Amino acid sequence: MGKSVKILAVITFVLLFCSIYLIFSYAQIEKTMLEVQKIFYFHVSSALTLFVAFGINFVFSITYLIKRRSNADLLAASAAEIGLVFCTITLLSGPIWASTAWGTWWNWEPRLTTTLILWLMYVGYFILRSALDGENKKTFSAVFGIIAFLDAPIVYYAVDIWQEGLHPDRGTKWDLETTMQHTWMLTLLAFVLLCVLLIIVQYKQKKSEERYDIIRQKHLGKLL
Amino acid sequence: MMKIVTIVCGLIVLTLFFFAARVPVSLTSDEVSRGVSDAISEENISVDEDIVEKAVLKSVEKLEKRQSTRLKYLASAYIVVWLVFMLYVIRVAMQQRKLDQRLSQLEQDTEESVE
Repeated sequence: MGKSVKILAVITFVLLFCSIYLIFSYAQIEKTMLEVQKIFYFHVSSALTLFVAFGINFVFSITYLIKRRSNADLLAASAAEIGLVFCTITLLSGPIWASTAWGTWWNWEPRLTTTLILWLMYVGYFILRSALDGENKKTFSAVFGIIAFLDAPIVYYAVDIWQEGLHPDRGTKWDLETTMQHTWMLTLLAFVLLCVLLIIVQYKQKKSEERYDIIRQKHLGKLL
Repeated sequence: MMKIVTIVCGLIVLTLFFFAARVPVSLTSDEVSRGVSDAISEENISVDEDIVEKAVLKSVEKLEKRQSTRLKYLASAYIVVWLVFMLYVIRVAMQQRKLDQRLSQLEQDTEESVE
């Protein structure tokens, strides 16, 4: 691991500790939902972070199709994997909050449904990657990554497009207390940094695996 | 590196429990009866102290039960979040271990073929 990655890891974990402290000791308790509202800090932050990760996947998928560089494919795959982790967290923490806030664990409302579709599409992305090999794997997964990302703006604008659902639309004023705003901003920053850190770690591992395969091929070639 | 990340994740979970455990302390019946008598004497109202005390105790009980349910939901949400992270970190660490094993095997094979 490089020195810069280690520094990033330290900053990320310090911010995560601080965010947990702020969530439970500094942020005011919301008046309507009371303590349960504290799920908001991790739920919304992970929901926004998944867009960052899938956005990176989208950018590097395009880069791969233009420049045909293996590094771009590895970065795209790493970002998709981390995006899937954050999407899973969003889909799991959401129903727990919803069960107390809306009185139901799951509702087929636009944002929930489109987020589930997004999750399924990226699961499909990895199924496709495991089914193919070589150049085909890289090209097809890049194309699939671009198509899958088209669902991301639909998730974001879902409530505005369908004009229904339990999630608040983008026009809703949040009226967060100052302590809540500070806490949320710090948690969001910590999550974005964690996402970047995990993408780098995953990328380096995939890169090592690729190098291993190349060396092994050469070694086998020499033996034959 | 992955060992450190796993340890830090564990520490985060412990920190989470430490702060999450700092829930408001429940009121004892003594505290409730003292509070009721203080309020009645301060306001100078003529009411049956026992009935008021029972009513207040009952409402405190209900509020605490509701709060406990809310805290259970809050704790389960945070447990789920960190469990997903932990499982992911463990998976990455296992992949790394496998890769290290394969590398050392390749090194061994290369040495043998040179010999």
